[in-house]
Amino acid sequence: MTSSRFAAVFLTAGFFFAAAPGAARSAGPLDDPAFAKVITCAACHGAYGNSRSDMMPIIAGLDPAYFKRQIENYASGRRPSPEMEPYAKEIQFLGLDQIAAYFAAQKRVPTPIRSSAEAAARGKTIAAQCVICHGPDGKGEAARLIPGIAGQPPGYLVQQMFLLKADTRDPGDPMLAAKKALMKIIPDGQFADLAAYYSSLR
Amino acid sequence: MNMMTRRDFLRSSGVGVGLGLGAGLGLSGCAGTMTGDIAPKSGRRVVVIGGGWGGATAARYIRIADPSIDVVLIEPNREFVSCPFSNLVLSGQRTIESLTLSYAGLRARGVTIIHETATAIEPDTKRVRIGQGYLAYDRLVVSPGIDFQWEQVEGLAAARDTVLHAWKAGPQTVELARQIQSMRDGGVFVLTVPPVAYRCPPGPYERICQVAWYLKQNKPKSKVIVLDANQNIVSKTGLFRAAWKAYPNIDYRASQKVIGVDTSTREVRTEFDRVKYDVLNLIPPQRAGAIAVQADLVGADKRWCEVDHVTYESVKQKGVHVIGDATIGLPVPKSGNVANNMGKAAALSIVSLLNGQAVPLMPPGNTCYSWVSDREAIAVVNSYKIENGKVVQIEQKLTPSQSVSVAQRAEGWRQSIWADMLS
Repeated sequence: MTSSRFAAVFLTAGFFFAAAPGAARSAGPLDDPAFAKVITCAACHGAYGNSRSDMMPIIAGLDPAYFKRQIENYASGRRPSPEMEPYAKEIQFLGLDQIAAYFAAQKRVPTPIRSSAEAAARGKTIAAQCVICHGPDGKGEAARLIPGIAGQPPGYLVQQMFLLKADTRDPGDPMLAAKKALMKIIPDGQFADLAAYYSSLR
Repeated sequence: MNMMTRRDFLRSSGVGVGLGLGAGLGLSGCAGTMTGDIAPKSGRRVVVIGGGWGGATAARYIRIADPSIDVVLIEPNREFVSCPFSNLVLSGQRTIESLTLSYAGLRARGVTIIHETATAIEPDTKRVRIGQGYLAYDRLVVSPGIDFQWEQVEGLAAARDTVLHAWKAGPQTVELARQIQSMRDGGVFVLTVPPVAYRCPPGPYERICQVAWYLKQNKPKSKVIVLDANQNIVSKTGLFRAAWKAYPNIDYRASQKVIGVDTSTREVRTEFDRVKYDVLNLIPPQRAGAIAVQADLVGADKRWCEVDHVTYESVKQKGVHVIGDATIGLPVPKSGNVANNMGKAAALSIVSLLNGQAVPLMPPGNTCYSWVSDREAIAVVNSYKIENGKVVQIEQKLTPSQSVSVAQRAEGWRQSIWADMLS
């Protein structure tokens, strides 16, 4: 138990007996009308888009243009995903621009999933080929719709590498042609190391 | 992951006692000892009945959206046990401990938890009764889950302690796993599927996969006989049919409603047949949890609760919001993910109403994974919109096939959604 949690419990106990009657509501998450539109996302993508699981990507802090392109590609089936295709259509119903802006504004908290330092070190040498697009720090380049992959969960990164290699993510998309060509020359056995490296970046 | 383990829970409980955390612990005990106003209300308060997928989420999101609102959760169980993934206990792939979570995260958010059973609701005076005592509320969330209609199967009411449903994860899950493990090779495992509507539409078929997988590995002369009250596999039909090709030990019989059970001769009776079993898993017909029936929240069918599709307020009782498997009338399955969504929508509706603000439209969603072996899973996903005050499905999508990759995402979903309810 951390000291902050300890304090929270203590305050809670006091609060129960001493809640001020008719206390005015302070600024809360509902003040942003987008908050109520993204509650469904939290079941997989975590609070404020900061997934804590190994397989679900962090969507907090994603560039809004990149976010919108992915939702549109999910909805059209260009980026096939049985999970995301229906939800992409729900997002379009609720307001894609507003939801993209909401997640873009959330502070990204890197994945808590830890990989071994050895794997990350091996991944760093392989990553020499990736920096041209994803940058030396893995932060991507918004102007070219290249996502930041630093701090993403390793399980998600590995799964995407396999989808790109097999050309089942956005098949035929010229923007991804170089990336897919690169994935084809990286052996499957190195994907975990590469993911360990990028997930460890901060 | 910030998820607390059982050990953390025990540790945090100890700290709670040291602090004199009367809110969480001093209030629990024998319901008979509670009299009068159990915890006088000073500010605005929401009481939540039931700390499952719906109720835990509702309690958490009220505190997230407006920490000035007092939240009291009434839940008899001291720990949360996840129904999703519990079929994996039957095949020995998981332990029940791995699915058991503490309520410490909710306490840390300021939710007061009373480990008792709510015995009555008084909507006119806005009170929930617990034994001889009561709790006052401004708004009430009822998330009672399901109860069983024992009387629908002759002989079941008398045998309900020995005929297992294992349809609420916990001791029955563990006992059914033990019975399967100790069954002789060549034995017959009979599973009966109730008529719709019931909790977790694909759940029985996932369970069939898990038991068939276990028997195929460990007791190859044994078989699984499925007596399904429905005309066909209720959910993910094609995907389960494909998965069952790997299990020739499954004998699936559709339109076989169980009408009786005799534990002395070890047989179940359908309208047409008698079937002998070595191990029986009889999943009875279901209705909303007892408190919903007792409080007259159910409709003319006396089974399920009709609600407003935006706020989840009961159509029968003002100020009472019903969520989760107990509801009917929305085009959604009775799933954990839907209960989680309903919990959030009800929570934010209540916060908005208590603050005199407009209630936003919050359509639900459903992501539902089923394990078809020790390592592969399938999924169905549903998305929704709200039109003219009613929830309408946008799309349903299935995974094209079973795969390890889907199973990995099921793991991710489990980790994420548990945190979304309890952290």
